[in-house]
Parts: sequence; C-alpha cells; structure tokens
Amino acid sequence: MTTRSHDRDPRQGLQIPPSAMVTMAASRRNFLRSAALGGALLGAPGLLAACGSDSGSGGGGKSVKFGMNEAKGSGPAADRLAAMAKAYEKKSGVSVAVNAVDHNTFQEGITTYLQGSPDDVFTWFAGFRMNQFAEQQLITDVSDVWPIDGLNDSFKAASTATDGKQYFVPKDYYPWAVFYRKSIFQQKGYEVPTTYADLQALMAKMKKDGLSPFAFGDKDGWPALGTFDILNMRINGFDYHMKLMAGDEDWDTDQVKQVFDTWKGFLEYTQPDPLGRTWQEAATSMGKGESGMYLLGTFVVDAIADQADDLDFFTFPELDSAVGADALDAPIDGFCLAAAGPNQDAGKEMLKYLGTAEAADAGNNGADAPFIAANSGASTASYSALQKKSAEVVGAAKNIAQFLDRDTRSDFAPVVVQAIQTWLKAPDKIDDVVTSIQKQKESIFV
Amino acid sequence: MSRADNVAPAPPVRIEGGALNRPRGLIATIVMALLSLAWLFPLLFAVVNSLRTYQYTQANGYLSLGGWTFDNYKNAWDRGQFGPHFINSMIITIPAVILTLFLASLVAFVLARFSYRFNLTLLAVFLAANLLPPQALLVPIFRIYREIPLPLAMSDTGRLLGSYWGLIAINVAFQLGFCTFVLSNYMKTLPKEIYESAEMDGASVWRQYWQLTMPLVRPALAALATLQFTWIYNEFFWATVLLGGRGEKFPITSSLGNLRGQFFADTNLLAAGSIIVALPVLIVFFVLQKQFVSGLTLGSTKG
Repeated sequence: MTTRSHDRDPRQGLQIPPSAMVTMAASRRNFLRSAALGGALLGAPGLLAACGSDSGSGGGGKSVKFGMNEAKGSGPAADRLAAMAKAYEKKSGVSVAVNAVDHNTFQEGITTYLQGSPDDVFTWFAGFRMNQFAEQQLITDVSDVWPIDGLNDSFKAASTATDGKQYFVPKDYYPWAVFYRKSIFQQKGYEVPTTYADLQALMAKMKKDGLSPFAFGDKDGWPALGTFDILNMRINGFDYHMKLMAGDEDWDTDQVKQVFDTWKGFLEYTQPDPLGRTWQEAATSMGKGESGMYLLGTFVVDAIADQADDLDFFTFPELDSAVGADALDAPIDGFCLAAAGPNQDAGKEMLKYLGTAEAADAGNNGADAPFIAANSGASTASYSALQKKSAEVVGAAKNIAQFLDRDTRSDFAPVVVQAIQTWLKAPDKIDDVVTSIQKQKESIFV
Repeated sequence: MSRADNVAPAPPVRIEGGALNRPRGLIATIVMALLSLAWLFPLLFAVVNSLRTYQYTQANGYLSLGGWTFDNYKNAWDRGQFGPHFINSMIITIPAVILTLFLASLVAFVLARFSYRFNLTLLAVFLAANLLPPQALLVPIFRIYREIPLPLAMSDTGRLLGSYWGLIAINVAFQLGFCTFVLSNYMKTLPKEIYESAEMDGASVWRQYWQLTMPLVRPALAALATLQFTWIYNEFFWATVLLGGRGEKFPITSSLGNLRGQFFADTNLLAAGSIIVALPVLIVFFVLQKQFVSGLTLGSTKG
C-alpha cells in the first residue's frame, strides 16, 4: 500500500535489474528504473515494421492527437503545454485531443506507447534519445517543417538525427551551472571564480569557513553525470565529449582517467557520502547555508523555493585555457511526430506551429511559471532573473550538450551511472572504473 | 541458614491456559507488539509526515515535530486527479472481481463434483499459470492486444490495446487460477450427501451449482473477494502497459505519479497521496476482516 507506492518512487533506492539496462524510456531522474516494459519490446524487429501500417490517413484532418508528458493540473509545465495546445486549436480551427500522462510514466512507457496506438504529436527530448527512435522509424521525418524562424543552427543540429534529417521541434531548455546564494557570497566576501585557480582558492576558503564548498548528492545516480559532463568538457573539450558519448572513443584512456583524477581532487571539497543523499537533500543543504555551491540544473529552485530570489549561478570555470569554458549541458525538450500516429499531416501542421515564438508565448502566458523558450523570438517579459540569465548564458555558449543520459545510448547511460556510484565509494580506484565502463561499452556499442 | 533449605520443593502446578501460560503469554505479547510496530511504523511515519509541510521537514529533518498542515491532502487530491482515477479503478476492479469469482466458481464446481480423467491435470494447469511471471508474457500479450480489433463503441482506439476490456480480461485471467484452486478445495469439503439428496429431488446440475453450492461457499467467496479486490486495485504493471499510454484511463495507482514532477518530488505530498490511495483497500479490509482471516486458512484442510 503506502510502501508499495514508495517502491515505485525512484528516489527510494536503486535497484537496477539487468533487464532495465535495455530501455528507451530513460528520464534524467528515472532511467535506471524504467522497467523492461519498454525495453523488451524493442527487441522485436517485426513489430517496428508493423507500426507504420495505419499511419497517414487523409490530409489536413480536422483533429490532431497530442500526447503530453505532464499530468493534467500537475503544475506549470502541464499548464504551459495545455495552453499551447489550446492556442493552436484557436488559431487553426483544428481540434486537439490532449492525452496527458505524468512525466515518469510517460517516459517509462514510451516504447510501448510508440509501438501501440500513439498520439500524433508527442513531447520528447532532443539528441540521442530522439535519434534512436528515428533510426527505428518510430518517429516521422519532419525536415519539411524546418527551418523555423527564431531557432538557430544549434537547435537545428540538436533536432537532426544521424541520417541528416530533422525529427524534432524544440520547445525549451534549461542549463546546468554552479548555483550559489547571493547573500552568503556577499556576507562572506566570496567572489565568482573565473579560473581554476580562483575556484580552488574559493573552495579552500569555504572549507575554512566551515562550509561544504560543493553540495553533492548522488543517491539516484544521475546527478553525478552532470559533474562528469562538465569536467570532461572542460578538460578534454566538447568534441571529445560528444565522441565519447557516441561510443567513438574509448573509456580506458588517459583522457578519461584525467577527468576522474580531477574529480577526485574535488571530492574533498564536496559533501561526503553522496550516495546517501538525494539532490533535493543536497539542495536543501545549500538553502540552509551549509554548502556554498551546487552544480545542478535550474530545477534546483524547485527544492528551495523559499530562497529562489537569493539564488544566482555561474558557468563552471575553465580548467584548461586551451579548452576554454564555452560548452555546457543544456537539455532541450520539444516535440516529435509519432510514425504510428493516425493523422500525420495534421500532426506536422501542429508541429510547425509549436516551434514558433507565438506558441512559446502562448505557453508561457498560460502558466504561473514560464519555461526558457528555444525560439529566440519569444517574449522574455515573464522570465525570472535566473531564467533571463540562463537564456544569456546558453546563448553565449558555443557548444551545448544534452546531458549524459540524453547524449548516449539509453542502455549505456546506466552503465556509467553504476560505475560512477561504485567509484564514489572508492575514489582511488580510477583504473577499475574506466576498465569496467570500457568493457561494457565494447559489448553495447557494437 | 539460607531460606532455600526451609522450603520444600513445590509440587508442579498445572497452569491454566495451555502453551500460553502467564510468563509465556507476556513474552508473546511483547514480541507481537514489537512486530506489529515494525509493520506499522512505515505507515504511521507516512501518516505523520503527510501532515507536515515539505519546507519544514527539509529544514528540520524528518525526526522533528512541527510544520503541521492539512494542505498536502487537499493538494494531493487536486493534483493527483484522484476523483476520476478512482472511478477508473472501480471500472476495472469491480467487474474483474465479479467475473473472476463467477468463472472460478464454475470451474471449481466441476472439478470438485465430477470426476473426469483430466481433473487433476486441469487443476494443475490452472495453478501452473499462476506461477508464470506476468512480465514474461508482456511482449506476446502486448502484440496480441495490438492486433485485436474492437468496435469503436467499445474502445476509442479501435483495438483491445488501450481499452478497459483488455485490462479486465487480463486481470481475470491472472487471478482465475488461484481462485479456482481455493474454491475447488473448499467445495470438496461440502458433504457428498447433500448432492445425492439434491439429485434424488431432481435438481439439475445448474441448480446444484447455483442454488446449493453457491450459498454454501459464501464464506470462501467473501474471503476471495477481499483478496481479489486488494490485488486488482493495487495492480500497476498491466495497467501502465495495456492502457496504451492513455492518461485519462489510468487507475488510481498510476495517478500517484501525477504527484511528482520531472525532477522534484515533494515526499510529504506523495505520502498524503499514498495514504489516500491506500484508504479504500484498508476500508475493504477492515469491513471484511473476519472473512479475510478465515480466508487465510481456506482450503488448507480437506474434509
């Protein structure tokens, strides 16, 4: 009963059955657990071919089905999507049938959903996650919707699958950065670091003041991936990072070892025993002033809403001047067209609209809290200070990664998660962790 | 001189109450109290924290006291959309329980009353199906459901996948084995003579089943109904797969997911939601407690 429902809560503990390694349905928070539900089905190749059979009924139909990964009434994210659907309905005269499923259930069931009776347009993620469905022909090529006014080349690149066609229309994004409380920095005279030396000095100072310089929680496995991403991008560069994610580089190399070695140096400045702490608890420690900084996505605000106005962030400083600091994680959310959706043409029409600044504005005006629109033409009037800064920072970044679990195969991400968790228990064993990842990488990327 | 020397050894006294004499009874009570506390603790802990705000418990830890509020329940009810989802759960559970019991009693009656050569085999097959993990059947069932067409009046997807019919059918199929087993064992305990005299009076087989057996197995049916209600109501696995991702059809167990966001989860709110969801099961259990307890030993002895 109560305990049962807690079992389903990914935060309550990590059980990674081997079957869960095969899954499409990964969420940032949750991909570890996503059951064999989705994954097992992918194994059946005949299934995929059968999917397209009832797609493509009459052009310009009078209704379109829209599947959204937020439950009705569950908060601003759901309100925004519902407002976008309604705005499209009003503008085009096409009725939109909304199918609202909560975020995690939607993601865990995504493969059964796409192979069963999916809606036409559905919410999804850019990057590798989208690419995998494109390769399996579960989603439709929408390159004729592109180019979209206000979406620059980096968004187009994130919407493009390996076959060079676009399968995705971006909606919004959020960056990962180092968050801190302005009042604490002011009170203690800390300054935002711009170089590795600055950062080291700051961490030492914080430690002397009795703070944990970095809050850190990795009970759920995925938060530490953000640290790995940024360190790899700062030490080895964005291109190397993407190659590593795509399986084109090996893990038991000096480059990767150097990432872990640098990380080990940071560990004395991060909260101890991260495996026993969720990101929410780590965020709370920053909110209470026990930790000085926290490397996380902007959603950190949700856990310490009381301090929202006191929060600020900076991008992770450069570690190597030859590499610089112009890359960061900023996962993009958006929409795809399901190949098995009943009304392909109407779906495409709706997608075209969803990418516009007008749609973004409709969404943001329809909810209490806005998202950071991907479309540069969207109004930023309703943005919070943090969001305005996010938009600036991401706009200034040269390269944008999607976060490890979206940039690599969904069956490989859990391998990295588990390896990093094991390593955090014994940080000296760097060779063990990279060999273990490499071994599994060889069997997954074939 | 010590006192012991004065006292003659007392003759053994027979203490009333059998194995549970006074000291043993005390120990047993303490052990049982501790065990029940261990079982109740998570539930009580959830109840306590469901009545407190997330901000307070985060700032002061879960072992503190304070930050009392009833808002979690209100918010959980609104955000979880529990009203409509509870109705969905009933649409699935009630027909499934009735159908399971009806079909199982038919099979059990035949297995218990008539001897065919394949009686035992049949019972074994029913039981064997119970041992099969549902996960193993996921892919074939999913594909079968996707291929079976239904008229649009019955399923808005036009297929068995994404309809209540399919979900009810799968629940019935999976619970049938257990119910048949329990009911047939229970029916075997009914005296043969009743049936002989019924036969003499000219009662048809249907009448023997409907008017004679069914009233007599009512305790077993009540116990099974309690169990089945709990199991089917709590069923989560098939509901998420076979409803084809139609959010508005999900039963209440999956609507608990509505209470967590993409990243952030208010654990106190979730606790409140879990308690609301668990409540109907608790009510059913307490109302039918007597049948439930007697049901635990059903079929364990053969008359």
